Formats: sequence, C-alpha cells, structure tokens
Amino acid sequence: MSNVAVRMTGISKHFGGVKALDNVDFEVLEGEIHALLGGNGAGKSTLLKVLNGVHIPTAGTIEVAGVPLTNHTPAASRAAGISMNYQEMSLIPTLSVAQNVFLTREFLSGGLINDKEAERKADELFRMLEVDIDPSTIVGDLGAGQKQLTEIVKAISRDARILVLDEPSTALAVSDVDRLFAFLRKLKSQGVAIIYVSHRMDEIARIADRATILRDGKHVTTADIADLPLETMIEHIVGKRSLGLAGVERKDVSRGDVALELRKVCGRNKPRDISLTIHKGEVVGLAGLLGSGRTSLAKLIAGIEPITSGEIRINDLPVNIRCPRDAIEAGVALVPEARATQGIIPAHSVVDNATLAVLDDLSNTGFVDGKKLRKTTDAQIERLSIKTASRDHAVSTLSGGNQQKVVIGKWLASDPDVFVLDEPTAGIDIGSKSEIIQMVRDLAASGKAILMISSELSELLTACDRIIVMADGRAYDDIPHADLKDPAEVNSNAAHRLQVAEQRLQIAIQEALAEGQEVSNG
Amino acid sequence: MANTETNLASKTLDAFLANWRQNIIYIGFVVIFVVFAATLNDRGFLNPNNLLNIVRQTTMIAVMAVAMTLVLSAGEIDLSVGAVAGLASVTVALAISVMGPFGGIVAGLATGIAIGVFNGWLTTKIGIPSFLTTLAMMGIAKGIAMWMSDTAAIPILSQGYSWWFGGGSIGRVPVLLFWMLIFGAVGHVVLRRTSFGRRVLATGGGEQAASYSGINTAGIKFRVLVLSSTAAAIAGMLYAGRLQSGRFQLGEGDELSVIAAAVLGGTSLFGGKGTVIGTIVGALMIGLINNGLILMGLEFSQQLIARGGIIILAVALSQKRN
Repeated sequence: MSNVAVRMTGISKHFGGVKALDNVDFEVLEGEIHALLGGNGAGKSTLLKVLNGVHIPTAGTIEVAGVPLTNHTPAASRAAGISMNYQEMSLIPTLSVAQNVFLTREFLSGGLINDKEAERKADELFRMLEVDIDPSTIVGDLGAGQKQLTEIVKAISRDARILVLDEPSTALAVSDVDRLFAFLRKLKSQGVAIIYVSHRMDEIARIADRATILRDGKHVTTADIADLPLETMIEHIVGKRSLGLAGVERKDVSRGDVALELRKVCGRNKPRDISLTIHKGEVVGLAGLLGSGRTSLAKLIAGIEPITSGEIRINDLPVNIRCPRDAIEAGVALVPEARATQGIIPAHSVVDNATLAVLDDLSNTGFVDGKKLRKTTDAQIERLSIKTASRDHAVSTLSGGNQQKVVIGKWLASDPDVFVLDEPTAGIDIGSKSEIIQMVRDLAASGKAILMISSELSELLTACDRIIVMADGRAYDDIPHADLKDPAEVNSNAAHRLQVAEQRLQIAIQEALAEGQEVSNG
Repeated sequence: MANTETNLASKTLDAFLANWRQNIIYIGFVVIFVVFAATLNDRGFLNPNNLLNIVRQTTMIAVMAVAMTLVLSAGEIDLSVGAVAGLASVTVALAISVMGPFGGIVAGLATGIAIGVFNGWLTTKIGIPSFLTTLAMMGIAKGIAMWMSDTAAIPILSQGYSWWFGGGSIGRVPVLLFWMLIFGAVGHVVLRRTSFGRRVLATGGGEQAASYSGINTAGIKFRVLVLSSTAAAIAGMLYAGRLQSGRFQLGEGDELSVIAAAVLGGTSLFGGKGTVIGTIVGALMIGLINNGLILMGLEFSQQLIARGGIIILAVALSQKRN
C-alpha cells in the first residue's frame, strides 16, 4: 500500500452565501495519477486553489504526507511540495530552458550568474527524467509539448512531490500527448503524486489510476478508473442518466442548395487544393490532427488569411474574400479557435460583444441606436439561453460555455449563410458541450450551412452529416455519417454505436496521415 | 433569511466600493476643491476671475486630452501632441501674416492633419509602434517649428482671430470655456454613441476579436492618430490666439499633462476603456492643483513635486485590487 501524499478532509469553502465546496474529501496517494473531474462550477478549481494556498478553507483540514498544513498561503503549499501548472504556460519565452528552470535560483560563480553550470545541471535533470530537450534552447523556439515538459521539469527540480496539472494536453499534438504521458508515468514510478484535471475522458481513461468526481461543490465518488466506464463517468459528472453527446437530437434536415463551394483552394502554406461543397442545412466536419490545415482552411474562408489560388463560391456566385469584412458581407461567420482573444473582448459587456459584427445595421448615420442594440442582444440571450446576470455584465464574468454562446450570438445577429466553427467546445464542460452541439444541429435545421472543426471525434460524429479528413493540408476522405455506422450494430445502444464510429474515424485519420506523408515524401 | 440579507448588503457595499474606485476622479475633484476653498479663500481662490483663469489654463490640455482618450482607448498613444501644438502655433502665425485669419486657420489644421496622417501611416502601414512613431515626431515637429520661426515669437495682429481662438470673452466668460465644452460634448458623443467610438473601444479592448468581427483595426488606429494631431493643432491655435503670437515653446511638455488627465479620468493606458467626461474632469483637476499650489506660494520646484504626488495618489486609489 502506498503512502498518502495529500489528504483533504471535510473541506468547505463559502463565498458570501455561496457554498463553492461542501464537506469534500479528497485523497491522493504517492505514485498515483489521480483525475479530478467535474463540470464547470463543480468546484474543481476551488478545491485546487485551497490545496494551493490561494483560498483559505472555511472548514476542513489538509495533510501533506501525514503532516497537517496549518498555514494556508501559496508559499506554505509550495514549501510542502505542492506545485500547480496552469493552463497558461508560466515560462519566459525569451530565456533559455536552463535559465527558466533555475529562475530565481541561478548558479553563481564569483557573484555572477553561471549559465554554463545551469545548463549542465538542467541537462542532468532532463537526462534523469528521460526528457529529450537541449537546455540551451530558447523557450520561445520550443514546441507546445516541449514547453509543457520543461514546465513540469522545473516544478520537479523544486522538489515538488504533488503535481497539479490543469488541462495539460489542450495545446498539444497527439505525439506530444504521448510523450507527456510517458513522462508522467516516469514521475509516477518515482513516487510523485499527480492530480490531473481534464475535460477529455479518453485521456483520463488512458493515464489516470483513480478518479474523484465533484458535482455542485460536493464529492460524488472516488473510484478506480477501471470501474468507471465513460458512461458512468459522464453520468456522475452531469448528474443524470445521459449518453453525453449521444443525447443530442438529430432532426432530419432536407439538404437545400449548395451554400458554400470551394474549388481547388490553396493558402500560403496550408491548405492545399481543397475542393468541397456544403449545402444549406448540412453540417460538415473537418477531422484531423493539429497542423493538418483545418484552422488555416477556416481562416481562408473567413478572410483572415489570403487565398493564393482557387475559388470560393457562396450561393453559387464567386466571391472575392480578402479581409474579414468581405467574408461577413458574403455571408460567412467564423467562431474562432481562441475564444478569449479572437472571439470575445473579455472586459466588455455582453451587449458590446454581441453587437460588434453588426454595428452598422444598428446605427443611424454613424450613431448607434441603444434600443436596437439592447433588442438584438436580448433576442440572442433568449434564443441561445445565455446565462448572464445582465446584458451589461462583462463577458469575462460568464462561464466558458456561455461566452461561446455570446460569440455564436454575435454572428447569428448578422444572419450569415455559412457558419465556420473552429473547436467550438474547447475548454467547455460536458453539459454545455452537448448544448453547443445541439445548437449546431439547430442552426443547420434553420437552413445554415456549417463547417465544423473539432479534435473530439465523438463531437464530430454527433454533430456532422459528413466528415472530411485532413492531413498535411490536404483533404483525403469525405465520409458520409451513415458509412461510419456498422450495419451489424443497429440494435446496440447509441453509446456503443458512437464508440464504433469513433474507432472507424480514428483509423481514417491515421490512414490519411500515412498517405499524406507519402505524398510529401514522394 | 438573515443570510440572504447580509449577502445583499455585502453586494451593495461591494458595488459601492467598486464605484468608489471608478469615481475617484469626481470625488477627488470635489475634495481638492473643498480643501482649497477652505484654506485658500483669503488668497482669492473662490474669486470668479481665479476660477475662470483655471478654465483658461486648462482648455488646451482638455482639448488634446479628449482626442488622447480616443487614442488610448484604441490601445495606442500619441506623445507628439505638445510639439504639434507648438508647430501649429507657428504655422498659423506665419500664415496669418501672409494670408489673413482664414488662411491661418487652414494652415494650422493642415499642419495637424499632415502630421497625424504621417503618424498613422508609420504606425499602421510600416508597423512602428505609436509610442516610437510619436516620440520621434515630437522631436521632428519641434525642430520644424524652431526652423520655421527662427526660434523667435511670431506676432499675430488679427484681432478677430485672437478673439475666437482663446483671447476673447463674452461678458466675463472666456471663449475658451466654450471650446472646452464643445470638445468635451463632441468627444463624449463620439466615444459613447457612434459606431466609430464602439470600434475604437473594441480595437483597444481586443484587437484580434475586433478584426475577426470585421472591424478594420488599422483604419481605426489611423483615424484616432489623425484626430489626435488635429486636436493638438487646434490646441496650438488656441495658445497662439490667447498669447497673440506663435512660438515653438508653446505646448512644450503638455503630452504628460494630457496623458495624466486621461488616465486620472479613468481611461486605461492599455486600451478598451475610456471616458471623455472623466478626462475633462481630470484636466480640470490638474488645472485646479496647479492653481492651488501657486496660490499657496509654493516655488515652481515644490509645485512639480506636489503635483506629481497628487497624481500618483489619485491613480493609485483608482486601481482595482484583487
């Protein structure tokens, strides 16, 4: 039996009258990867902030390796060996890997910083942890995966025994995730306790030993991963019997005329020779790995990056899209990948954000019409059931799912014919995810043509009528939804059908990747 | 139930505290005014002539600060305003002596627009940050002004021009007060009620999101920089009218007061948040402080130190804490 690395007992945290945490027990063993799961607002981040010393618990105790933590400050938690890696990377991009690892603890010789020594020590450390990174590299030149590893190595070098990883794989390509997982297993074998927070259930199933699920600030269950199949996990997180995304209703939509057509479209670097058509009422998915050119294709259509050759046609007319304004006027709306910087202006109000794309329509001779602004915003808040204290609250006060709805609302106001959605559910909890996917289906039902990018295959399979597989900037497969279903499996349950379809799609992506490599090598 | 009540009470308190920080400029203005009224009354602080003098000394700063509010809201900065004001005072004085008052006004405005277009072009097309563009322009504008005037004051003999641009008054009310009110009103409406103002705030609040929403963010930046230089030229014309001469030193160092007025008023140096009314009050507050410190009989060196301290205090109080 391993020792307990951290034990939190009866933790409660109240903010005013709100109980963010209510008598939560949480225990992580040494040499264990423990997943912490729950929807947005379940209390995950509050619990971690209590552990981290940022919040002082209203009630309850924390023991680290059997020693009670009496001081609740970030410094005390760090001294106890707790290290938190945030979603946003905390490395300084202009310094080298070694300089970052030993920041504030630089080696000195004769009172001056000795970078050579730092590089030597860092190299030792990286070698010991079997991480293949040259410590003299400038951090800005590293890939996202290597940055992530560097950050963890930095924490370990400060004697961290309890590592908190919050969505560590979000920015990583699949191969980087594999490397990260290999590294985490290595740390685990050395007795480090790892708390792993993620919305991606497939990853949890691969890497975690046990999971604790929170809901509404309460502890729901702690169990071995083997005893927690996907359905059970989602059931505990959502709190009611649910097939997750399989619960999304797919209304039958009759395909209308062609709304968007691409003819041999190329971008500066990616994508290459993309031809596709999307009809009104149709949702077409773009599957592929990071760097396959999916986002670049979205940016071409939305006028953010220029097309170098080929033709874009909307409603059977060629359009010349050279800037976002052109795309908007042609009837294209992009829900971009990076919500916080590209989708919304966080400090501005819901009404200011929701009307940004249609200011001219809501203005008379240059003067904005406050009444129209409010009316348009209220209509979107109601139509998309956006949860906000008021339309005048800053968008940053909304949850991720509701922020995304504001972005979608912004575009609905401009009444586009073509919607391009780039990872519309990234960083959103599973409950809001199915709501967004349902919204995509409903948009299609109302006659919009939709191109949707997602790295979560179950999401694509739920939302899309066809899925195009991309690799290396090219489109390889165009698979109708029906072809991914197994005719022999019609009688099995929906979740199982989804699983089968997901495996097939996964294989298609891998095949496209292999084919793509042959093309670029040949 | 008691729980709900305390919750409500604490929320109201929170809202008040949030507003307290947001409205520090108005509170500070009143506090300083009351303190000066109480302590400096025997030295004539409340004398209408003294109060109107504060307006006379503040208007040029206020005119430039209104445009600066737009520039800062768009996430840019314009350090050349003081030097542009000096240059415009020289070009207007020279042009009046050759072409009369109307030619002078055209020349003054053209000076501002030309420099603004150049600033905007360098910033948006060449991609030099506006901080550097306008820092360099500060020197260039001053140099041109010295060269054109041969470092001498150029007299303005047109009485009409001087009356309209800063020298005149209606009864006891200086024409300058109307300039300040008009600039404040127009600036407020532009920022709050026009689609251009919304786009300015969106550009400064989140440039990428604004651009993805179809806003021509480079065009917005270009336009606020042109507006700023033009406002600076008008301020220079007001200096020239009030002093009946153009000289390169006019407006020297004003950029600091102008930026301080906007920031004191609640405009963010990082863009996306701005208020013209706050800026006007900020400018008046700086004028008030200058006036009070002079009446106190402080030496110029002591005035500088006291003024800097008060500005730091006001801005520190307005910062949000977590």
